[in-house]
Amino acid sequence: MRQIMCRVWYAIRQRRFEADLAEEIEFHRAMKRQELEEGGLKPIEATFATRRALGSTALAQDRSRDVWCPLWLQGVGQDVLLAVRTLLASRIVSTVAVLSLALGIGANTAMFSLVNSLLLRTLPVRDPQQLVLMSNGTGPRVSYWSYGVWDQLRPRPQLFDGAVAWSVTRFDLSSGGETRFVDGLLANGTFFDVLGVPPWLGRTFTTADDQPGGGSNGPVAVISYGFWQRHFDGAREAIGRTLTLDRVTFTIVGVTPPDFFGADVGRTFDVAVPLGDEPLIHDRNSWALPRSPSTLLTVMARLKPGQTLEAATAALRGVQPQIRDATLPEGLPPQFLDRYLKDALTLVPAATGNSNLRLQYQRPLVTILVVVALVLLIACTNVANLLLARATARRHEFSVRRALGASRWRLMRQLLMESAVLAGAGTVAGLLIASWGSQLLVRELSTQNVDAGPNATTNTVFLDLSLDWRVLAFTIGVTIATALLFGLAPALRASRVAPMDALKEHRRGTAGDARVGLASGLVVAQVALSLMLVVAAGLFARTFASLTARHLGFDREGILLVTIDTGRTNVDPTWRAALYLRAREAVLTVPGVAHAAVSSRPPVVSGPMLGQPLQEVSGGPPLPPNGRLSTLNLVSPGWFETFGIAFVAGRDITDRDRLGTPPVVVVNETFARVFLNGASPLGHTIKLFLPGPPPPPIEIVGVVGDAVYARSLREPIGPTIYLPLAQRDEVWLPFLASMNLSVRSSGGSPALLTKRVAAAIAAVNPELALTFRPLASQIDASLTQDRVLAMLSGFFGALALLLAGLGLYGVTSYGVSRRRREIGVRIALGAEPRHVQRLVLSRVSVLVVLGVIIGGMASLWASRFVATLLYGLEPHDPATLIEAAVVLAMVGALAAWLPAWRASRIDPAVVLRYE
Amino acid sequence: MGTRDALELLPGTLDLLILQTLVRGAMHGYGIAHQLKDVSNGVLQVGESSLYPALQRLLLKGWVKAQWGASENNRRARYYTLSAAGRKQLAVERQEFDRLILAIHKVLNTA
Repeated sequence: MRQIMCRVWYAIRQRRFEADLAEEIEFHRAMKRQELEEGGLKPIEATFATRRALGSTALAQDRSRDVWCPLWLQGVGQDVLLAVRTLLASRIVSTVAVLSLALGIGANTAMFSLVNSLLLRTLPVRDPQQLVLMSNGTGPRVSYWSYGVWDQLRPRPQLFDGAVAWSVTRFDLSSGGETRFVDGLLANGTFFDVLGVPPWLGRTFTTADDQPGGGSNGPVAVISYGFWQRHFDGAREAIGRTLTLDRVTFTIVGVTPPDFFGADVGRTFDVAVPLGDEPLIHDRNSWALPRSPSTLLTVMARLKPGQTLEAATAALRGVQPQIRDATLPEGLPPQFLDRYLKDALTLVPAATGNSNLRLQYQRPLVTILVVVALVLLIACTNVANLLLARATARRHEFSVRRALGASRWRLMRQLLMESAVLAGAGTVAGLLIASWGSQLLVRELSTQNVDAGPNATTNTVFLDLSLDWRVLAFTIGVTIATALLFGLAPALRASRVAPMDALKEHRRGTAGDARVGLASGLVVAQVALSLMLVVAAGLFARTFASLTARHLGFDREGILLVTIDTGRTNVDPTWRAALYLRAREAVLTVPGVAHAAVSSRPPVVSGPMLGQPLQEVSGGPPLPPNGRLSTLNLVSPGWFETFGIAFVAGRDITDRDRLGTPPVVVVNETFARVFLNGASPLGHTIKLFLPGPPPPPIEIVGVVGDAVYARSLREPIGPTIYLPLAQRDEVWLPFLASMNLSVRSSGGSPALLTKRVAAAIAAVNPELALTFRPLASQIDASLTQDRVLAMLSGFFGALALLLAGLGLYGVTSYGVSRRRREIGVRIALGAEPRHVQRLVLSRVSVLVVLGVIIGGMASLWASRFVATLLYGLEPHDPATLIEAAVVLAMVGALAAWLPAWRASRIDPAVVLRYE
Repeated sequence: MGTRDALELLPGTLDLLILQTLVRGAMHGYGIAHQLKDVSNGVLQVGESSLYPALQRLLLKGWVKAQWGASENNRRARYYTLSAAGRKQLAVERQEFDRLILAIHKVLNTA
């Protein structure tokens, strides 16, 4: 160990050490000379005698250096220097190689760091392996629980070593008018304790704070490190300051550590408040009450030391009947209740946290990871080809070195070192690309959808992308693998050079040697891989295009969505419906507004879909137990006009449809098809499942065209019913806390209306919380996943094409340069330029066709894995496949044509003179 | 002839001789060479190309310590001293060497 330190010290102070040694030897010589002179020799003779007696100074120094730095290590150092110098000598080739490797390695690292933070990383809390999530046991989706269930779990501490419940939400920091949202967390009192998250500053909240209406300190809040830095510049005085969240004043008591982002992977929080304060915030719409039907809580537990998942699940199922019985929701049809009682409570491991983003992006991410791995493979084959060509050009150098006594291993080492230097440079550049690229991607995934209601969130995606050991290990592994992949073949080949070759003429005249064979194989592989990537890009681009072009059933342009939230105002709940209608009247007078209408939901929302169960449709076949849900929208008059939804039959909802007049409903065409076998629904009546006394039958007075109401545009349009907003009684009050006002501009960008619309609504009631967003961007946001996939696969497809083109060009021009003499002779014998061109191109076209066939078959096989990501086309879409093949053929033709053209211009006189 | 001497030494003996020479106190490289030659009546002439690598080796192993100082004719010279580890090593090598010589003697003196 001491010796290693000494050696390192030597490496650092090498100059100093050598200077010391030289001085010492010089001193030695001087002494010797003096001694000889004293013995009677003349100075000159003494100098020579000294030299004779003491031998070579250089040898002494060399040997001394060997003591400190073993020979083999010096060799490596030399190799690195030599490699760098060789690579710098052919700057263009090296730049191309490093760039393509950087893109390949960078893309891989970026995608892996996303995969890592989303799928692999454990939560930054104490013993994350002990954490489990409570689930319904009905599939991969995360289960959400009502407050009642949590209220039943809380008094049963013997089940686990602590349990926590939380809900993600957003808080409005403003006190009126346009909203300023931050990411919020409503968590129970033991949340930070059980997870094991210590305060960074101040304290975290406890069960004492988690009391209905706040503890003895009043409502308290814990803020995240990021929020603390952004809002308070990291000032310690932030503790004790107050925050207004949804019009309620909270006192800040603490800051969480920088790496803690909550227990949901894919998002972060700015402010966390105790669950007990929820009624303060949501007031009459509160859901944190034992009888509330809303299921918004995620429940996580910590296993006791030594407790297995199975034992904990068994214990939980032991108390399941009591929990289920005590929390039976009201007003649901019997089959729903049955299922509620039967679904078995299940615990699932949760070391990596809870994540909706994970479920959504797992498959797309893995797909892109495969794509970037293929790109890296192509880059590797390209670099291998470049190195092969160069190694062949350097045959002479190698054989001379062999003749001078370099071992085969030494030559191989030299070439591998060049590969390692290339790969290393590529990795360094790749890491830069990766950190930039993965952040760009996360930004791209973040959307600002307008969600409505008390359970809305901000949809900001947050992923911890800091380098950890997994990413580092991955990158280093990729680097070594690539260096071996592209470096081994050229190195092995070069090491087989015989010393004799140096003496022979080193240029053979005909094609067809092994190097060309290997290079051709690489080109075929490249073409095949690129074809796969181009096919993937084509499939995703078509999917995106058909989603964008999908007929939505309404006119998406020119509409501004305004979410109006009355939940935080003093408006009497029974007056809310009237208030929205008054806001609509006010907005209609704004210049530039063509139409405006109120609805409980806009088309294409990102929040969970609420289905309204139907009890009966008169005149239709009996409803199946599991197929009686219908999408529900509460609308004001003018809604269909605003969105340009076509009327098929009957009449629109009018101002005359209000409480006291006979209840009416408008349905869509799918409704008629599903529930009435396609018969005209006009005149039929429907009955809904609603809490309270049995509701009266509602008459269908109109039929409209289908319009998309979904979180994703790929979901099919389901049966939809439109009920007049003005006909809703108290039963419906929970639905009316917030509404969407859709404003159609009479021309020009809808976003420009924001100010005037805000002013018009404020004139009606200044307390209303307003959120604005153009419908078009809302729809764009719902296509995020498809856009990102199309963008990435398109980018990498193009990259693959470029690399394949470069590879083809390189191999063709190399082939031509080897056959210069042969071609020259042919031209001298009268071959015409087009014959020569055909000669060159025919060879390349064989390679391209072979690559296309192999790649096509591989694509046919592999495309099945992305079937679920496609929309509007089959994975075996023939048009995409043919297009991709044509594109590749064109790139191949272009890449091969230049060298072929040059070959046809070879001057036979020049070539033959050289021989 | 300078380069030949080292070859004639048994492998490893140079280290031993240097260590032994340094028992008398701090000495610079020239001094060590001079001393070896004097004591051996001119038989052991050590060249720079073996002396200095050997000294570096001993330094690396921590058996000797080096320090710059002024020489007898007032030039800057590097003085080597024996370290505690070096003293221990000397005893070990001395023993080994004695055994070796004894063995060689035995072989040579057997018929």
